[in-house]
Amino acid sequence: MSMNSNLFEPGKSKPERSFVQLAVKQNQRLDGRRSNESRDVELTFGTDWGSVAVSMGDTKVMAQVICEMGLPSLSRPNEGKLQLNVLLGGVAFLDEAYSTHDQRSLKLNSLLERTFRSSKCIDLESLCVAAEKHVWCIRVNVNVINHDGNLYDASSIATLAALMHFRRPDVSYKDGELRIFKQNGLEFTPLLFHHYPVSVTYCVYKSSGQPILDPTLLEENAADSVIVLSFNSYQELCSLTAGGTAPTNAPIVMQCARNAAARCKSLLDFVRKALALDEERRSQGDRSVNGLVGLILNTEHKLSYNKLMGIQKQQQQQQQQLPPGENMELDNESSETPVANEEPSKKEGAGAPMDTSDWLPHDEDSQELPMRSEAIPSKAGKYKTNKKTRPRKQNNSDSEEEAKQYI
Amino acid sequence: MSATNTIVMPGERIAAIEELAKSKRVILGPGLRRLDDTVVASKAGPLRHKEPGTFWVDNYQRRYIPARGDLILGIVRAKSGDIYRVDIGAADTASISYLAFEAATKKNRPDLIPGDLIYARVLNASADIEPELVCVNSVGKRGKLGVLTEGFFFKCSLNLGRMLLRENCPVLAALTREMPYEIAVGVNGRIWVKAHSLKETVALANAISALEQSGCAEIDKICGNLGDYLQT
Repeated sequence: MSMNSNLFEPGKSKPERSFVQLAVKQNQRLDGRRSNESRDVELTFGTDWGSVAVSMGDTKVMAQVICEMGLPSLSRPNEGKLQLNVLLGGVAFLDEAYSTHDQRSLKLNSLLERTFRSSKCIDLESLCVAAEKHVWCIRVNVNVINHDGNLYDASSIATLAALMHFRRPDVSYKDGELRIFKQNGLEFTPLLFHHYPVSVTYCVYKSSGQPILDPTLLEENAADSVIVLSFNSYQELCSLTAGGTAPTNAPIVMQCARNAAARCKSLLDFVRKALALDEERRSQGDRSVNGLVGLILNTEHKLSYNKLMGIQKQQQQQQQQLPPGENMELDNESSETPVANEEPSKKEGAGAPMDTSDWLPHDEDSQELPMRSEAIPSKAGKYKTNKKTRPRKQNNSDSEEEAKQYI
Repeated sequence: MSATNTIVMPGERIAAIEELAKSKRVILGPGLRRLDDTVVASKAGPLRHKEPGTFWVDNYQRRYIPARGDLILGIVRAKSGDIYRVDIGAADTASISYLAFEAATKKNRPDLIPGDLIYARVLNASADIEPELVCVNSVGKRGKLGVLTEGFFFKCSLNLGRMLLRENCPVLAALTREMPYEIAVGVNGRIWVKAHSLKETVALANAISALEQSGCAEIDKICGNLGDYLQT
């Protein structure tokens, strides 16, 4: 049975591959989407804090956040821990899911680790109760229920939504005695975030220069290379994975990056909006979602990206109209995106060395200030102290990305 | 074949067949099992009956169980020695000899590489040895068998594959009225289609996949949608 493994999934035979290549060349997709169109994202929040089911088409992912008290590591005695576990066992046709060398689950795990842990999106110091003794260990269990491509996006949305949804119990530490108030009527506290990263996946084919967004499993398996970009709401790059054999040049990656940054932002807005709706529902005392099946099948509590963001888009347009001065730089960026011809001129302006570390963070830097103040004006004050140190750190971690070497 | 409305569940005793078996000979097909003098269902689904005394359970299944004489679609997985290993969606990979192709000799070997799609017949199938395939008939001609190039290939449930192959199935005839196409249906739940253009092929594949949810009765509606899709 193990011999038979990966041929059960689509996209492993030659006719399928050549067909997808041909379809991409003719700018068509099998499900009728355009190349920059994604499937609808649906979120369902569970009864517990920090349990979320995400579905994108037939891809279904569940994430559950668990917290417990634990010992901090010796090197960072005053920081909590964040662990990410990915479980691919639910997908029946991936026989190799159980083997330790499974590339797929390792890749997914490392992507989530880089997106959420290495980018330091959660304020781990706030999870410290007593230095060197008691810290909160936050664990995110990402359970893949069905795999129809683009696991990266689905699981990163699930992880982000679960972490944002999560509330941990209050705790007190007095005279060496630790007390956790679990059902005390006290408010549970949400996690503190530095920034909110989400990933966006593109597939690139040899037959066409046009990368396609949100691939299905067939498209993903037939692709020559897959690019996964994670951005936060300030349009800062959090992680970049680019592998495969398709010739991807800098303009393609930049084009992907710009579109991805915009999509990440709207995805985050969607998650925020969904959380707000869930909060509203909870305050009315309606918390019943029946078990796992209820979580996946429930249509009543399902929050759809297309539906929610239809309203959101109008609001964004209004927002952009209000402060025109602040958005100047952003508008320049977005107007450049669809026109590929303008890319070369930009390259010349940036100078001879075509290094991503040279010009990718450069773009981000120029955007940072106006973007940040515009992104979440209401919360700006709350996180200001954290943010001042963060952007520098962020750029350092960007330049460390190994992905750069592949490009 | 008559479709009775009885749905049986695994482990359910079927008294009607036991009664019939007392008077005449009864053949138990897939999904039914004899335990001493009782008949018990081993799969869930509607119970089917064919005169005079054949019974089986038409259950929903995606894993193929090889049977001698079946026409199937397989993906070449590897070369090993003088055989190719072929994935046919069963629990085990099947094998096909180099010599099981038309005009193949020891010198003149067929040129198959991993990933190729072949339409083949099951020559040998038993529970304990791996199934063996051939791409020629008894007189050494290939007929319709062999490597399938171009076109689109997708997987479906075994039921859908069987349904399309039924003599009185209206689906393929209805689709023919919309456009010309080539199709190869394997009873292992794999379908290969090819139409004139890419768009037509996609439309065809989507129409056939849609049957999985809706059933034969809605084929006219699906064909109507197909026409709309192609015109846009």
